[in-house]
Amino acid sequence: MAAQLSFAWFSWRNLWRRRLRTLLTICGIGMAIGAFVALVGFSRSFEREWLRMYESSGTDIAVVQKTFLNTSVDESAGATLLALPTVAQAAPMIVNMMDLTPEINALAYGWKADSFELDSLTLKSGRRFQDGRQEVMLGDLLAANLDKKVGDTLEIQGSSFTVAGIYHGGSALEAGAVIMPLGVLQQLSSLQGKVTAFHVRLRPLPTGESPEHYLARAQAQIEAALPGLRAVSAAQRASNNQLVVLAHAVAWGTSSIAMLIGILGIANTMAMSVLERTREIGILRALGWKRWRVLLLIQMEAAVLGFAGGLAGIVIGWGSLRALALIPQTASIASPTFSPFFLAEALCIAVLAGLAAGAIPAWRGARLLPVEALRHD
Amino acid sequence: MTEPLLEVRALCKSYDEGRIEALRGVDLSVAPGDFLAISGPSGSGKSTLLQLLGGLDAPTSGEVRFQNSVLGTSINLDTYRSLSVGFIFQAFYLLPTLCAIENVQVPMLGVNRDSHSRVQRAEALLREMGLGHRMNQYPNELSAGERQRVAIARALANNPTVLLADEPTGNLDSVNSAHIMEMLIDIRQKRGMTLIIVTHENEIANSAPRHIRLRDGRIES
Repeated sequence: MAAQLSFAWFSWRNLWRRRLRTLLTICGIGMAIGAFVALVGFSRSFEREWLRMYESSGTDIAVVQKTFLNTSVDESAGATLLALPTVAQAAPMIVNMMDLTPEINALAYGWKADSFELDSLTLKSGRRFQDGRQEVMLGDLLAANLDKKVGDTLEIQGSSFTVAGIYHGGSALEAGAVIMPLGVLQQLSSLQGKVTAFHVRLRPLPTGESPEHYLARAQAQIEAALPGLRAVSAAQRASNNQLVVLAHAVAWGTSSIAMLIGILGIANTMAMSVLERTREIGILRALGWKRWRVLLLIQMEAAVLGFAGGLAGIVIGWGSLRALALIPQTASIASPTFSPFFLAEALCIAVLAGLAAGAIPAWRGARLLPVEALRHD
Repeated sequence: MTEPLLEVRALCKSYDEGRIEALRGVDLSVAPGDFLAISGPSGSGKSTLLQLLGGLDAPTSGEVRFQNSVLGTSINLDTYRSLSVGFIFQAFYLLPTLCAIENVQVPMLGVNRDSHSRVQRAEALLREMGLGHRMNQYPNELSAGERQRVAIARALANNPTVLLADEPTGNLDSVNSAHIMEMLIDIRQKRGMTLIIVTHENEIANSAPRHIRLRDGRIES
């Protein structure tokens, strides 16, 4: 059967000629995309878990500080909140990251024993903690990682706590967390009289008002009553809280550096390829190929490298996240599930990285004069 | 009188900021269907003249006209090379990653011809060159004579008006040389193409109905 030559096939043959170099370049961009998939996937999974936590607890609005550096809110604001006509419940809470063992750290929440947030948790054993007592509730994932059961004691920052209950939460952030009385965590964090936020549950939606309008009205009401504080919706809070913002920043920063290295790898491969194939480019130009067509051929090769690297990167990233999901320290946050949009985003970034890396070599190849290129050894 | 197909007027080409003058005011006219041989010693400018006739390079001064249009001004050089000219080189210049039939399709890929007709045309040309059984061989699997026949098929791919051959038998033994020359003459006769050959072999030069000799960038005879 006669072989049919297509543009894509031609590109592929050029890459196939230098198989080892092509493979190494794909590995390079694959590592970069893998870092992107793992890190950004990790930070998005973190954000998703926050949102799930708010949704499962029925929190409509979080009331937090407006300023970035001062993150604590005066606990007395709770009374003002409860006096507002739209507010049904306002639960003060503290969230902190704590080392429970040298290997395991976890999110620590401080809630009041009667907080509506606790209603969404399913007690698997034991009972709720009691306010003012050195008691904690452990998420089932954390309890398994710590090998603790109800009645055991747990050392947290030099204080001894009794495990009062083990619960299952709707979010991995809850399943891997420790919850203790608000006052105890305030003392442990030297935040007496202060809280991280108030989680607000609104009264039922009045008839004739849209949910969006009602939420906006309640936010405006809270901010008017408590100047200096910000009322954010649960979805906003999930994406804007400092831990998530930090996770996103670290993820994007690290993967950008990895991407830069990957791009340099492709650029080097394409520059070498164009140099080695100078005469072949001259032949194509002698046969009447226009500059843009030569440019397209080289760019297609770069895009194929990027695409293949992207696929490899998705596998690497998925594998990394899966590994993180098995490690006790990160098991509560990492989730190796991706949305199709995220995978498409990773592939698009890989292809765009390939095109960016191939641009200069392609431009240089395309502007070669045929007669000079043919003379090239 | 027939209008010239290719016309060269006061053609000069210099390199290295004018220190090397490859062509020094060449005038030449080639009629449709001509078979012209260009010979001369090394460095006489014969390959440079062929490159300028084929639009591979631009002259320093003077002009090359194709069907009365100036190359590079009235006619885009890429378009001219892809549709009006077929090149045959001494070193064949086949693409090593592509098999014979794919190499023949390369010029057609450059002009967006549909894939089915590309394959059909490449098959027909390779059969015409006696390579029907070697279509899927790669250049390194072909003999020198076979490679040059693939190169001729490739040159004919877009059915050009002019065939330009730069020492087409330079890398071949005498048997293959004679065979290739027979083929080129046959192609010219059958298709009514214009054939311009650069050669340093007197036998080939003398076989052409028209023969010019270059020396030091000028036409000697």
